Amino acid sequence: MAKDPLNEAGLHFDELNKLRVLEPEVAQKTTELKEECKDFVDKIGQFQKIVGGLIELVDELAKEAETEKMKAIGARNLLKSVAKQREAQQQQLQALIAEKQMQLERYRIEYEALSKVEAEQNEFIDQFILQK
Amino acid sequence: MSDELRTKLIKLKLVSCVGWTTSDELYSCSEDHQILRWNLQTSETSLAVKLPEDLFPIDLHWLPKTVAGKKQAQAEIFVLTSTDGKFHLASKMGRIEKSVEAHKGAVLAGRWNYDGTALITAGEDGQIKIWSKSGMLRSTLAQQGSPVYSVAWGPDSDKVLYTSGRELIIKPLQPSAKVLQWKAHDGIIVKVDWNSVNDLILSGGEDCKYKVWDSYGRLLYTSSSHDYPVTSVAWSPDGEVFAIGSFNTLRLCDKTGWSYALEKPNTGSLFSLAWSADGTQLAGACGNGHVIFSHVVEQRWEWRGFEITLTKRRTMQVRNVVNDAVDILEFRDRVIKASLAHGHLVVTTSLQCYVYNAKNWNTPLIFDLKEGSVSLIVQAEKHFLLVDGAGVYVFSYEGRLISTPRYPGMRTDILNAQSVSLSNDTIAVRDKSDEKVVFLFDALTGKALGDGKPLTHKMEVLEMALDQCGPSSERKIAVIDKNRDLYLTSVHRLNKENNICKIGAMVHTMQWNDTANILCGIQDNQFTVWHYPSAVFTDKDLLPKTFCTKDASEFSHEPHILNYVGTQVTVRRGDGSLVYSSVSPYPTLLHEYSASSRWEDALRLCRFAKDQSLWACLAAMAMSSRELTTAEVAYAAIGEVDKVQYINFIKDLPSKESSAAHILLFSGHVQEAEAVLLQAGLVYQAIQVHINLYNWDRALELAVKHKTHVDTVLGYRLKFLQDFGKEETNKRFVQYAEGVEVDWEKIQAKVEMELAKEREKAASSVRSSVAYKR
Repeated sequence: MAKDPLNEAGLHFDELNKLRVLEPEVAQKTTELKEECKDFVDKIGQFQKIVGGLIELVDELAKEAETEKMKAIGARNLLKSVAKQREAQQQQLQALIAEKQMQLERYRIEYEALSKVEAEQNEFIDQFILQK
Repeated sequence: MSDELRTKLIKLKLVSCVGWTTSDELYSCSEDHQILRWNLQTSETSLAVKLPEDLFPIDLHWLPKTVAGKKQAQAEIFVLTSTDGKFHLASKMGRIEKSVEAHKGAVLAGRWNYDGTALITAGEDGQIKIWSKSGMLRSTLAQQGSPVYSVAWGPDSDKVLYTSGRELIIKPLQPSAKVLQWKAHDGIIVKVDWNSVNDLILSGGEDCKYKVWDSYGRLLYTSSSHDYPVTSVAWSPDGEVFAIGSFNTLRLCDKTGWSYALEKPNTGSLFSLAWSADGTQLAGACGNGHVIFSHVVEQRWEWRGFEITLTKRRTMQVRNVVNDAVDILEFRDRVIKASLAHGHLVVTTSLQCYVYNAKNWNTPLIFDLKEGSVSLIVQAEKHFLLVDGAGVYVFSYEGRLISTPRYPGMRTDILNAQSVSLSNDTIAVRDKSDEKVVFLFDALTGKALGDGKPLTHKMEVLEMALDQCGPSSERKIAVIDKNRDLYLTSVHRLNKENNICKIGAMVHTMQWNDTANILCGIQDNQFTVWHYPSAVFTDKDLLPKTFCTKDASEFSHEPHILNYVGTQVTVRRGDGSLVYSSVSPYPTLLHEYSASSRWEDALRLCRFAKDQSLWACLAAMAMSSRELTTAEVAYAAIGEVDKVQYINFIKDLPSKESSAAHILLFSGHVQEAEAVLLQAGLVYQAIQVHINLYNWDRALELAVKHKTHVDTVLGYRLKFLQDFGKEETNKRFVQYAEGVEVDWEKIQAKVEMELAKEREKAASSVRSSVAYKR
């Protein structure tokens, strides 16, 4: 093939017969590369977005986990204090029971005394009737 | 009894102290520098004072209402102590009139005395200072190394009680007087209170106990250990109950220490408790910023078949136990005092007095009261007595004011059921300034009885009671003195000496029956019923036979007889339980018979009952009514032969004068007997009485005075001396023996003549004499 003098001068014609400095092949590859680069940038952008979302999600999760943790600690403490509260309540009720028991004992004594009086009076009535 | 609670409003900071102005208005101080005014009628709360930021109040006390005898409608100024060592006098409107630098460190307590003339403050620096009403320092009463947490005035404002670590100290204001000091608690004592009516001391400490002491420092009651330290104590004004505050705890106790009610409000520690002046409401300052109000409800009264309960503040429930009928009584205002006895219920509210008849609960009699705060109601069969801050009033059950007895220096605020007694015709009031003195008044006129002189006993009187039945001329009063001896005396013969008779010893409590003059009491560890206590005036020897005793161990320690109605005695034991005991109904019947002179029935009753004590009672009753035939039978039944003989001798006496005199002699009234004889002109008989009693001096004196029978006296004296182989040592007898010759025949003749003369005289009035003997 005969050498194109233009080629030697570094000038080429493309398919549209436009004068080019670069070889058409190279030019094509460059274009392809450009395209690929663009693609790549797009993808990286997308990836970043996805990762950002992920991080946000994880953060949220972390937050939730934290609150849950606090809740758990609170609940645990509450549980502990409930035991104490119950103890205090029990103590109070115990005191009230003791008080009522004392009152009951007083009533028991009163009842006994009254029963005794009743027995005495019955005896008296019997005696009275007998003597008559 | 229990108490009903209401807590009010949340204040964020601790409330340190509370104080009542009237029965419906309270001031409270808290650590957020506020003094709040609480109106209970309108349930309003308003800010009274905003204190400076650096003032933290500790204690508040209102100046007493009665200042130097003058009465004020309500308290006008109060003292406020604070942590910066000052106390402040502030007016009701909240203006701080004066601030006085009093102590180094906090002023822990400030208290006015009862007449409002002096103020005492106690500080962290261990000093106790007395100030005048205007805040001028009068003296430093005491100084010690540890802080004084609480002080209280004695009932007469002449002594001060304060705490010193675990010890209590009573220090009189007089510098030379003896100081009383004793170890009271196992922990630091936080609060003390001293009641002016019952003179008892209350203390609460960090050993979680409260204790009741008398004013000599003797322990009367100690509580079991609580869960938390006792932080406040307060006597109710009438001294019947007290309140105890601790962490989440409010307790209402009887004055003997046992507990009526316990509440566990959610209040934190109760730092201060205060009763309203009428004793129906209690306010507490709570650690969590609340102010707690409580009312005493569920009080109960019983009389025969009726049971009355104060169910709410203004509502009472009457239950007739016999037929289970229930009536509800409603009142316009809060019930302050009530009393149920003798078939009537008397209720006082803050404005009115309601009188109900037990037969009809629907239509009470209502009248207005001059002053609301009635502190005591005492009932008798025909009328009742009200005591308020100004005086003592007797009202009939128809609501008519009968009388208002008073005596100089009367202090009505300290009268209680032990120091006032009422019967149908007489009122007895024990004096406070001199406890040996009992004032007696005619209930119908309000004037002092007899010559106006009060009854003065040789010892301090602790308790006294008038009998309830029989004619007013025979009204008797029973008195328990400081030695716990029981005495009986008539209220009408106070001018004569020696008529106060001891009828019992170690008597802790006593009560008259409501239908007959029978007295019951607890003597040492015996329950004693004096069926006829007046026997001591007719025949002393008979008294031990007229009472019956039974073992009182069922009443345990420190029993108190609440009432003696019909045949039933109600006793409150030391632990608060009620115990009943029945008494034989025969003595009551016997009293009835003797009062209506039905001696035949009385004799039949005694024969039926076959009871020695009943016979003894009858003997004494008959003798005091000069019913010799019955007395003879009764004395014979109890085997008193000598008495029977003497009665026979009296029956054989020729004239009624001499038998009257011998009946007096029978009861040991020699002077009266002599007077009767001399009045009837029976000089010889009078002389003979003294000769028989070996009362030689008086016999001779009479003989000489009337110029007769000097030889008789000398003759008997000689005979007496010969019989005992003694020499005459009496100068007067020696002197008269010289001038007079003793001739027994002559004496006999003279005596015969006298007796004949008496017979002759009696014969002329034979009709009346016969009638009399019958």
